[in-house]
Amino acid sequence: MADPTTARAPRRSLGKTILQYKYFYLMVLPILVWYALFSYGPMYGVTLAFKTFNYGKGILGSPWTGLDNFKTLLTDPEFRTAFFNTIVISVMKLVIHFPMPIVLAIVLYEFSRNKARRFFQTILTFPHFISWVVLAGIVMNILSKDGIYNQIAMLFGADPSSPLVDERAFRPILYITHVWREIGWDSIIYLAALAGINPELFEAAEVDGAGRFRRLLSIAWPGIKSTVSVLLILHVGQMLTQGASFEQIFNLYSSPVYSVADTIDTYIYRTSFTVGGDFGYMTAVGVVKSVISLVLLWAANTFAKRMGEQGLY
Amino acid sequence: MVKKLTAVAAGLALSTALLAGCGGNDNNGNNQAASPAASGFAASQGASAAADNPYKDPMEISVAFWDADAEIAKIAKDPIAQEVLQKFNITLKPVNTTWDDYAQKIQMWAASDQLPDIFAIDAIGTQYQRKWVEQGVVKALPDLAKYPNLAEYFEAPDIKGLSVDGKYYTVPRRMFPSVDWSALDRVVLYRWDLAQKAGITKEPETWDEFEAMLEAITKADPEGKRIAGLTTTQNKLIGGLFWLYGNPVATSDGSGSDFKWIEEDGKLVPAVFSKKALPALQNMRDMYDKGLIDPDIALAKGSDSYDKFVSGKAAALLSGGGFVNFNGEIYEKRWKTAYPDTDITQSVKVLKPLVGPDGERAHAVFKTYWSESYFSSRVDDKKMDRIMALYDYILSPEGKDLLIYGKEGVDYKVEGGKKVMIETASLNEKYPARNFLRQLVAYETSDSYDMNNPLIANESIRKEAVDYIDWVLKNTKVPDYDIRLTYMSTPTKDKFSVLDQDDLLKVMLSKEPVEKAWNDILKSYKAKGLDKMIEEVNAKAKEEGIQ
Repeated sequence: MADPTTARAPRRSLGKTILQYKYFYLMVLPILVWYALFSYGPMYGVTLAFKTFNYGKGILGSPWTGLDNFKTLLTDPEFRTAFFNTIVISVMKLVIHFPMPIVLAIVLYEFSRNKARRFFQTILTFPHFISWVVLAGIVMNILSKDGIYNQIAMLFGADPSSPLVDERAFRPILYITHVWREIGWDSIIYLAALAGINPELFEAAEVDGAGRFRRLLSIAWPGIKSTVSVLLILHVGQMLTQGASFEQIFNLYSSPVYSVADTIDTYIYRTSFTVGGDFGYMTAVGVVKSVISLVLLWAANTFAKRMGEQGLY
Repeated sequence: MVKKLTAVAAGLALSTALLAGCGGNDNNGNNQAASPAASGFAASQGASAAADNPYKDPMEISVAFWDADAEIAKIAKDPIAQEVLQKFNITLKPVNTTWDDYAQKIQMWAASDQLPDIFAIDAIGTQYQRKWVEQGVVKALPDLAKYPNLAEYFEAPDIKGLSVDGKYYTVPRRMFPSVDWSALDRVVLYRWDLAQKAGITKEPETWDEFEAMLEAITKADPEGKRIAGLTTTQNKLIGGLFWLYGNPVATSDGSGSDFKWIEEDGKLVPAVFSKKALPALQNMRDMYDKGLIDPDIALAKGSDSYDKFVSGKAAALLSGGGFVNFNGEIYEKRWKTAYPDTDITQSVKVLKPLVGPDGERAHAVFKTYWSESYFSSRVDDKKMDRIMALYDYILSPEGKDLLIYGKEGVDYKVEGGKKVMIETASLNEKYPARNFLRQLVAYETSDSYDMNNPLIANESIRKEAVDYIDWVLKNTKVPDYDIRLTYMSTPTKDKFSVLDQDDLLKVMLSKEPVEKAWNDILKSYKAKGLDKMIEEVNAKAKEEGIQ
């Protein structure tokens, strides 16, 4: 006889489940319609990656070219540069930026009182709400010939120069400005996770003689670990899009730094609209990026699960 | 229960329809709501249409043009523009584009079959423009015999050369009557007042003198503003100056597709890649290394650069738009407020084409037009005829006079064969839409270089402008090149772009020696098929008998 505790509940058909929770499903319906219309519907456009676009025939009627666009892509030196830059910039941003909001959240939580915490949080979150167009203007002013950077550099006898057009300096500027804009915003969720930890645990640890560092290591960190792992997976999934942020790079870069700054997104934009590239080829470039993002997401999820965390699916 | 479900379903259907409706964008004239300006005088059109009028049926024409919303809205306040449009019983429906988004928008509309009747873009020589023609996206112009002014307009060599299998698909927006006039489209303005304060007594005529002047100004820094040397309003322009050092045929309009070819060692090559490139690049780099070029030049932006120049933070400014922008952007918008008691032409001079290393005075060389009108293939023959008639009238002597000088007897009179202005106030305020209507067809910038033309409002600047172009026409010559090679279509050339402004900036700012930096750039062009393109063009040129 089967153990009643381990026996599986009888499976109910999807239809019956939907019928039982019909009002909830009706509430979800607009969202599904939205996704069908605006997210899944336009996906037929991906077929363009295997076609040469013909204006008269549209996406569906354009002639198939097999893998020609992908073959061209492999021999295109500019795509290779853009691909390499996308990976480098995204990975470096992840490595440099990802831990920073965690550290900031812990520091704010542990070392400041409520009012001071709110003050610093507001100050650090504010740049997130300024668009990259405006922020890029600010960065350019700081780094221009008359900007603070050059004024200080010239005090030490250096010639005025703009780091934004220096291949060695451009990527570090990207990383620094990204951290500057996002650190406060990204730390909010960790602060929320920290706030969710029962304060009695901290008090008990303090009574037991645990110092600040021990409390962080044994109480705060386990308390936010699962949040960190979910956010890490999300960050990795968006690494090639938001990591190599189009707006940030597009507003800051110029031709002297294309070799270190041109990412897949900026390359697609430049080639499609400035020079007039083939839409089919550009779609193929986009498809490659999406496939890589998918693989990265899967890898991160698997990694998180192996580490004993929950993962996304 | 059924009632509840029906209500929820109806709500969902409504919201879906709303969402779908928001996503749509009808640019094909199906939307009957015209702009207030356009509809304002549309009502009067019906009454004025006589029975024998070939234009008796009112017609709405959609137009995508830079800032079309604002420009077409001005028609309601402009009796001249209304008169012209009423003559052809036309209502214009604006489809807005801006200088930042026009290329993207038009390509998207072309791909989704939503092009307006008329649209403005600079696409000649690009891959997508060739596809528009091949794949029937744009309509061919009808036989021009019926439109004499348009027919004459197409006689200019670089406009005539645009035909594809004997048909034209675009009306280029002409600026100048001949290539020599392109000297006006890349002018260097310099602060002569500061140069004099720095001890310079002679206006520069050679590259050495120009560099010496920049050096003197930046070193003396007469106003203590840590003045930079030469800056520009946009990077697209820099080839128009630096190639003039011994390689003027390499100058281009910055589109990447209008590069010109020269013969070197018995072979046709793009002038940018000729042996003459290196000395020009070295000269530019030397200027940069000596601090004579603004270190921020790679990040230059229009209005900031004008501000920089007028406020004395840059000794010289490479600018487009010739004396028209000198008057509008420098004098009207900035100088007259900052220095109300100063005669600008005594303080700011325009650099004459410099004597290069070959002893020649060279200026930038472009096409005689910039940007074009295209017509959607959805435009029927009747509408096309109306559009062509409007274009023809705007190009006619009568139309030109009306749109430049206003009404005879009211705004100007003719004395001794010359037009003398009666109206002393600005015609731009009295007829605010007339320039838009003119520029819908052609810029004809050259018309402004006439002492009778009030477009360059400051008379001292106008005088300088007229003298400048006279001097250029007498003292410079256009180098040899064959425009047919620029227009030639070969499989590799159709996909090939030369964005020389990007390359110049790379060489200028590179830490490598000039030759090494340039060779790296050449390598990347070779990887994109430079050699193959040269082979194809040489073979086709031989086939077509082009030397």
